[in-house]
Amino acid sequence: MHPDTLFQIANPFAVLGWLALILAPAAPRLTDMVASLIIPLLLSVAYSALMLTYWSSATGGYGSLPDVMALFTDPYIALAGWVHYLAFDLLIGAWATRTARGENIPHLLTLPHLGLIFLFGPAGFLTFHAMRADFRLRTPNNGASA
Amino acid sequence: MTVLTARQHFNFINRMTRDAPAFTHLALFIALTAIPLLATAALDTRDFLNAPVWQKPLQFHLALATYIVTLAFFARYLPTPMTTRKWRIYAAIVCFCILAELVWVGGAAAYGTASHFNIASPVMAALYGLMGVFAVILTSPSLAMGVVIWRNPNTGLSPALHLSISLGLILTFLLTLIAAGTMSSMSGHLIGTPTTNESLPILGWSREVGDLRTAHFFATHALHALPIIGLIAARALSPTTARATVWLSAAAYCALVAFAMVQAFQGQPFL
Repeated sequence: MHPDTLFQIANPFAVLGWLALILAPAAPRLTDMVASLIIPLLLSVAYSALMLTYWSSATGGYGSLPDVMALFTDPYIALAGWVHYLAFDLLIGAWATRTARGENIPHLLTLPHLGLIFLFGPAGFLTFHAMRADFRLRTPNNGASA
Repeated sequence: MTVLTARQHFNFINRMTRDAPAFTHLALFIALTAIPLLATAALDTRDFLNAPVWQKPLQFHLALATYIVTLAFFARYLPTPMTTRKWRIYAAIVCFCILAELVWVGGAAAYGTASHFNIASPVMAALYGLMGVFAVILTSPSLAMGVVIWRNPNTGLSPALHLSISLGLILTFLLTLIAAGTMSSMSGHLIGTPTTNESLPILGWSREVGDLRTAHFFATHALHALPIIGLIAARALSPTTARATVWLSAAAYCALVAFAMVQAFQGQPFL
């Protein structure tokens, strides 16, 4: 199958997961299962299949930056890398949504961080943690009584 | 025959988990990890020795899951569940060997190269030798369980069925050792040079030249074939006749494996 075709199939799956996270307050358990389990598992199957099929013919490796860059010149390996992003960013998004709910952080305040995680994974992870720290400081019954 | 309800079905797995936890969990794990391999097989267009590269790893997942789930099922006829210290250590070693075998076969497929019979490089040759040892270890619990079940007077089984399960397990080990051992002393599983590469679906046996995998298949499935014969004999015949039938069937089954080997060495396909 052509890598572009696979790319166009993989993306809507991830988007579906992110839509589920946006709508999480409506059905927290269902959307969490979709975004933190079902879709990541499907994307992981795609990733594994791509790597098992194309790893041996790819050049480069993990050892140095030129090696990694050489690896990503193979369209299928680059696609696998993209699917890796899709799967793991979504997992972090699902984790943030779940954590916010558990710590009584309003969903509306979590949404901008989900947007950041969606586009720039680690940056959103940082801002979410910053907000979380702020909430902990503000919550009166933190620490020993929690 | 009755259809199992969901609850009975659950109990069925529960029972195996209690009798042979390691084997039951590994069987489930091997079955589940076949899912990404199926996706890989759908994606990967490479062939090796005229078969899709992922056919062999999938066959190994299916075969080894079937094998250990069968052992987990028969574990109920042991005097104790496989949770004693000795059984646990033994089962862990067997599970390790099974996983190593699957990683080896799957890894070779990912690289589009041979696993068995691969002596192209020192590393692959050493691995092939080591995996031969692992293969004997992973086949050995059938012998151990067969002997222990044979000696167990409290299985609650009819004599013919009891005998057929013990014999089936023991023969799986002995016949596999002969059939697979002979095959591994060759340079490949085929006897003869195929031209059309016509083969049976799923099993993959050649339909034009001798294929030693046929004998290996029958040898390893003694643990299924004999208990089925024992089950039918115990229901249909008197106890004495049933036992005699099981003994005769065991002899006939050995003859079938021998026939499959001789036929392969003559360069003839089984079907």
